[in-house]
Amino acid sequence: MFDTVNATADGGAIAYAFKMVSNEVQQNMLGFNIPPEHQDLVHEHWRNFAAVDKFWHYMLALIYTMLMVSSLCGNGIVIWIFSTSKSLRSASNMFIVNLALFDLVMMLEMPHLIMNSFFQKMLGYQLGCDIYATLGSVSGIGAAITNAVIAFDRYKTISCPIDGRINKVQAIILIVFTWFWTLPFTILPLTRVWGKFVPEGFLTTCSFDSFTDDSDTRVFVACIFVWSYVIPMVLICFFYSKLFSAVRLHEKMLREQAKKMNVKSLASNKDDAGKSVEIRIAKVAFTIFFLFVCAWTPYAVVTMIGTFGDRNLLTPHVTMIPAVFAKSVSCIDPWVYAINHPRYRAELEKRLPWMGIREPNAETQSTNASTATQSASADA
Amino acid sequence: MLDYLSLIFVVAVKVFKKTTPNGKVTVYLGKRDFIDHIDYCDPIDGVVVVDTDYLKGRKVYSQLVTTYRYGREEDEVMGVKFSKEMVVGTEQVVPMVNAKMELTPVQEKLLKKLGPNAFPFTFNFPEMSPSSVTLQANDDDQGKPMGVEYCVRTYVAESEEQKSHKRSSVTLAIKKLQHAPASRGRRLPSSLVSKGFTFSNGKISLEVTLDKEIYYHGEKICANIIVSNNSRKSVRNIRCMVVQHVEITMINSQFSRHVASLESREGCPVTPGASLSKSFYLVPLARSNKDVRGVALDGHLKEDDVNLASSTLVTEGKCPADAIGIVVSYSVRVKLNCGTLGGELVTDVPFKLLHPAEGSVEKQRFNAMKKMQSIERHRYENSLYTNEEEDNIVFEDFARLRMNEPE
Repeated sequence: MFDTVNATADGGAIAYAFKMVSNEVQQNMLGFNIPPEHQDLVHEHWRNFAAVDKFWHYMLALIYTMLMVSSLCGNGIVIWIFSTSKSLRSASNMFIVNLALFDLVMMLEMPHLIMNSFFQKMLGYQLGCDIYATLGSVSGIGAAITNAVIAFDRYKTISCPIDGRINKVQAIILIVFTWFWTLPFTILPLTRVWGKFVPEGFLTTCSFDSFTDDSDTRVFVACIFVWSYVIPMVLICFFYSKLFSAVRLHEKMLREQAKKMNVKSLASNKDDAGKSVEIRIAKVAFTIFFLFVCAWTPYAVVTMIGTFGDRNLLTPHVTMIPAVFAKSVSCIDPWVYAINHPRYRAELEKRLPWMGIREPNAETQSTNASTATQSASADA
Repeated sequence: MLDYLSLIFVVAVKVFKKTTPNGKVTVYLGKRDFIDHIDYCDPIDGVVVVDTDYLKGRKVYSQLVTTYRYGREEDEVMGVKFSKEMVVGTEQVVPMVNAKMELTPVQEKLLKKLGPNAFPFTFNFPEMSPSSVTLQANDDDQGKPMGVEYCVRTYVAESEEQKSHKRSSVTLAIKKLQHAPASRGRRLPSSLVSKGFTFSNGKISLEVTLDKEIYYHGEKICANIIVSNNSRKSVRNIRCMVVQHVEITMINSQFSRHVASLESREGCPVTPGASLSKSFYLVPLARSNKDVRGVALDGHLKEDDVNLASSTLVTEGKCPADAIGIVVSYSVRVKLNCGTLGGELVTDVPFKLLHPAEGSVEKQRFNAMKKMQSIERHRYENSLYTNEEEDNIVFEDFARLRMNEPE
């Protein structure tokens, strides 16, 4: 069984290996380059696989470099613009900034990984591993719960637009709550009270230990699965579906009122006629839900297999995939939340004209503005 | 400015006008406030003057549009729009469809003065249409205010459905308001409640009577309060306030704001066996609630000409629950504080707050007062508008004139 796995894992690299790498690498098993005093870091499971080829390490480093740059740009711009522009300083936008912060924290672990890839081992051993995994755990759990908080905020804003909005104090409390939410499953493994952080996959990244074969670890994995995946997902689904039904109710009531006045068309503005609000909302909600699933399902699946399933499925290569997914989504997040924000786009257009963003609403906005000035001057 | 002028030219008829950005179509309206008299509503009567060469076979349409805005613009996320626009009436103005249409005096005057290129139009508000209401925004609210708005939109197009161009369309904001009926009625609203206590015998009773059922904006409300204490608790203090209840029917949400309040310890504590009779005077004013977010105002077009929203009246025989848009009502709420363990005794007495009916003595007095105020206000201001007072018509521009276009 192991042999076949090895063959497939290395098959792609063999041609390359012939030219460049000595046979030594092929013979070495994973974890060979870790000094004896740190050998206990590596779980037995990984020793069954041959050391991963340099080529794979460099490719991972390349992918992570690209992700790092895009995350730094996207999230950096979001934080910069949202925190410096007055028109964007609202309670709801604080959550978007918070999400960008979490995504930036996730970005912080990338330079470490890129260096690890070049040395093909975990730099700093246990300490490095702990730092890497702490950053990953805080940002991952934090981003997940922030998604749920954003869903809650949107539900409040849309279902009771007059006085249901979250004020700044409540927003700060919720943000503090998201940071506290990340703590239990960061501090417990870090202090080794419950669970621990270990290298995984290529042994250049670190995460929760899901391989140790005792009930303690199994309960830990089950708990973290519920805490950082199931609960945020359930909350996201719950709030977006509540939001959806609130919008449907509003639309229905407005239609009834329009009927009382013998009005046929009911639109937010002239161009909107015919487009259903419900469909628009469903699209956005589904996109966010889909991104969440994309980001965390691979991780959840791999961890659950590692703990409860057939471990032999988890080759080093397979194990590296979820992290790439989670990190890609952290790069996409700012675009999904912020780029959908008309004011953010307008601000972006103003400050970074070279980005070539053409605010499609500019036309309607200027109409609004001009009607406003007209009525203002009418008042003069 | 406006009132100042109408004092000088007492006989002048004042008319509002606004021109499209390209200067080819001008709309004239006799007034901006249209009164719903419950049994009938003022029609919207206007005149459109158009450069017929410019039309080239196209037509001019006018629409009566109501806009509901029930959430802040900046809260619009995920493609939700907190505003709905409803076209409650459309009319083809040029060429005229109904040549024998009945004209109002203002229209006749305007047609006579503006010549052959002037075309009249008339709209009626739908029977059920809501009144204009604006919910007060506070400083950190940006964008358009929430509420119910009306406007008359005039545009040039080939057909009714065709999209209008910004340069050839013009929008005039108008208001639909309700005024009090001619007589105020004799009924004095009152309420009598009492409260018992779990661990002691006896009751405290509270009777509140108002001196009128309908108050006019700016009038003093007198609430007569009689407290008789037959319990073993004592009344620590009395709070009396005017509560504005706002129901936003389009999203089924409601809230209330205290627009005037008074707290008194005079005569307190009302000890067991004692009783107290007292009058409270309160004046609910928009001016004293400038910073309170969400207070409903009569849809306002002028910055300083603002008053609290009038109570929503419904046609007799119709259920108040049938009212649409934003429904406003008022009550006087009296709260007795019976100590920490005793809790509170609260009662609400509903009343109506309205503008005096057109033509009534009160209305004239009210207008005179307002005129004086605005003269004060505008005495030192420069006037920026042009007027053509011949023919006793004063034209007031809705929008400022474009300088390069000769009148």
